[in-house]
Amino acid sequence: MKKFEYTIKDAVGIHARPAGLLVKEAKKYESKIVIEKGEKKAEATKLMAIMAMGVKCNDTVTVTVEGSDEDVAVGQMEAFFNENL
Amino acid sequence: MKEKIFGVLQRVGRSFMLPIAILPVAGLLLGLGSSLTNATTIQTYGLESILGDGTILNALFTIMSKAGSVIFDNLPIIFAVGVAIGMAKKEKEVAALSAMIAFLVMNITMNAILQINGEILSNGEIAEHVLEGTVTSVLGIQTLQMGVFGGIIVGLGVAALHNRFHKIVLPNALSFFGGSRFVPIISTIVYLFVGILMYFVWPFVQNGIYALGGLVTGTGYAGTLIFGIIKRALIPFGLHHVFYLPFWQTAVGGTMEIGGQIVQGGQNIFFAQLASPDTVKFSADATRYFSGEFIFMIFGLPGAALAMYQCAKPEKKKQAGGLLLSAALTCMLTGITEPIEFSFLFVAPILFVVQVILAGSAYMIAHILDIAVGLTFSGGFIDLFIFGILQGNEKTSWLYIIPAGIVYFILYYTIFKFLIKKLNLKTPGREDDDAEVKLYTKADYKAKQTRDGKTEANHLLDERSAIIVKGLGGRNNISDVDCCATRLRCTVYDSSLVNEGILKQTGPSGVIKKGKGVQVIYGPSVTVIKSNLEDYLAHSTEADDEIYTQDNIIEETANENTVTEVNIKEESKKEIKNLHTISTAITGQVASITETPDEAFAEKMMGDGYVVFPTEGVVYAPEDSTVNFVFPSKHAIGLTTEDGFEYLIHVGVDTVKLEGQGFEVFVKDGDFVKKGSKLMTFDIQYIKENAKSDACIVAFTSLEEGQEVQMNVTSTVNALDEVATIVSN
Repeated sequence: MKKFEYTIKDAVGIHARPAGLLVKEAKKYESKIVIEKGEKKAEATKLMAIMAMGVKCNDTVTVTVEGSDEDVAVGQMEAFFNENL
Repeated sequence: MKEKIFGVLQRVGRSFMLPIAILPVAGLLLGLGSSLTNATTIQTYGLESILGDGTILNALFTIMSKAGSVIFDNLPIIFAVGVAIGMAKKEKEVAALSAMIAFLVMNITMNAILQINGEILSNGEIAEHVLEGTVTSVLGIQTLQMGVFGGIIVGLGVAALHNRFHKIVLPNALSFFGGSRFVPIISTIVYLFVGILMYFVWPFVQNGIYALGGLVTGTGYAGTLIFGIIKRALIPFGLHHVFYLPFWQTAVGGTMEIGGQIVQGGQNIFFAQLASPDTVKFSADATRYFSGEFIFMIFGLPGAALAMYQCAKPEKKKQAGGLLLSAALTCMLTGITEPIEFSFLFVAPILFVVQVILAGSAYMIAHILDIAVGLTFSGGFIDLFIFGILQGNEKTSWLYIIPAGIVYFILYYTIFKFLIKKLNLKTPGREDDDAEVKLYTKADYKAKQTRDGKTEANHLLDERSAIIVKGLGGRNNISDVDCCATRLRCTVYDSSLVNEGILKQTGPSGVIKKGKGVQVIYGPSVTVIKSNLEDYLAHSTEADDEIYTQDNIIEETANENTVTEVNIKEESKKEIKNLHTISTAITGQVASITETPDEAFAEKMMGDGYVVFPTEGVVYAPEDSTVNFVFPSKHAIGLTTEDGFEYLIHVGVDTVKLEGQGFEVFVKDGDFVKKGSKLMTFDIQYIKENAKSDACIVAFTSLEEGQEVQMNVTSTVNALDEVATIVSN
């Protein structure tokens, strides 16, 4: 299991468009990818669940990656967050 | 981002193909017509009695020459209209009309300002202080000389306006002017201002282009080499049209005075010299952008083909030979190089590097040898005959092409043969047998075609189309389909669904996937493949896709195909299930989600669904649902239906930035809502003014593979009207 923390820089948080991109990215990997903010948790492949978390700018989320390709996936996901969120 | 730019550039390059396609014909008319009415030629060969003034043939050839000429003279408007057609996504005819109008408006605007400022005198003459060559007559309008750039600016701009506005909904009182009728109107207004802007900006550009042209001309042979290498290297990306055209058609490629007229661009200079009776020798400085092509297209690449043929495995020689021979012949005759180039580009990129360097140097060699043979389209034998041999060696030095060509033939042949053997490159006929796991190889496909005979011809055409559709990730994944000289050029919504393996079963010489653009290279027969594909897409359903592709497997085991086919068809159709009926949450003009003026939604990134262009600022619960969440900035609500479909109601595009301004929400997370209860109100006017669009998107975010939203209504509806169905197949 791999994880990293990330503080959202996008001024409007994880809204529809970045959430859509995130789901698309997460679906590329076998590993189960979970995003956590405080008590709220969502699987990165579930658009509705991610949006329901209502992640805003400056919120810190924890991303957990677990599965066969977790080494690759965690790096790619971190790069994705840095670039898009 | 890079991929997006590639996608746009690919479309631009593709849109140039329609206007470019006319050039060989225009060149043929002009070439034959002017050669055979040239007084010197007639005198030299003593043909006054047959071709001299007053003969019927002279009249005929004069007409041909003029007909060719008028096309070259009016290339700007041809490009304006052609590019607009190529770039418009839908209702292309509206874009074409708008481009023509915009082109006229832009030029007459510049003309009016030129007159007001005294640069054009009241008697129509150009004032003396105006730099020569900067003002020209376009369709009888004296205006700034913008060349095909002017046309391309209009074409691209109008297409952008068209794609943005052709579905616009205007207030009721003005509704007559809405939709596609709005496009010519907005184009007129925009290009009036573009004309004004151009009057002030273009002189600077003109000076810049002149300077750039001087720079390139100044670099001499090295410049020619660089031009050649860049042009050849761009071929795999299909971007070469964007690159070479300015050199062929505008001042970037140099300017020259011919018969008192200032002519811009290498190709234009050649044809102006061709039309002028005073030409003693064509300018190699003008033709350096293309004369070298004869050397490697007629001689060099066929040498490469021969090397590949000789390197093929003995048992595959016959098959590889057929492919290579037809590719070499196409290249030699018409100068279309893609069939040969793509036979090695993908399997052995190193050979392409060789090709780029050799071909690039051929441009320079032709320049050094002072070879000045013009061409209309590409450097095949047809063009060499008309614009080289027919014009005579004194004017063109075409004879030098032969020794240079022989040298290049040997160079290509030996380098290709050496590299293929040394590096064991997998050129045609050298593939490892077990390497490919194909459901259907090209050879199988051909064998089957002969076996089934003509009665099945139509069926097979559809079958290929169906395989292409499948390879592109299904019909719903195809955004648009077009083609250029040799490639099928498609844009898809989701490039991850594209299966290159399946596409390769249809027998192309290569498949390029870059971002959302997919290019399948078939060679010159691609136009037919494209039409078949379009017909097939228009006249069949998703069920047919399955049948035709399934057929491949079924027919392998059973020969009784006609009967089984019908049965399967019926069965497959029954398999489409209606899972859920969708009612609209908002009153307004409803359309498929693909019509959303926002790429992310239109490409179904958030899921399949529908879009409403609202006429009333209220969102109702379209059915009994649970509220999953209300987004903090109030513009989006997530809900779940009673049977478990999750859907997102997103009001406006880029409205997240409004931070709740203009929205009022009446529900909260976890609420259960009854059909018809008010979820939210929003201020249409405020959103229109402050966000990208007021389009309301409803996306079903949890659909599974094979489930999709099928629109039943696409018109103006009231909230809670049934508009679509979720189906599975």
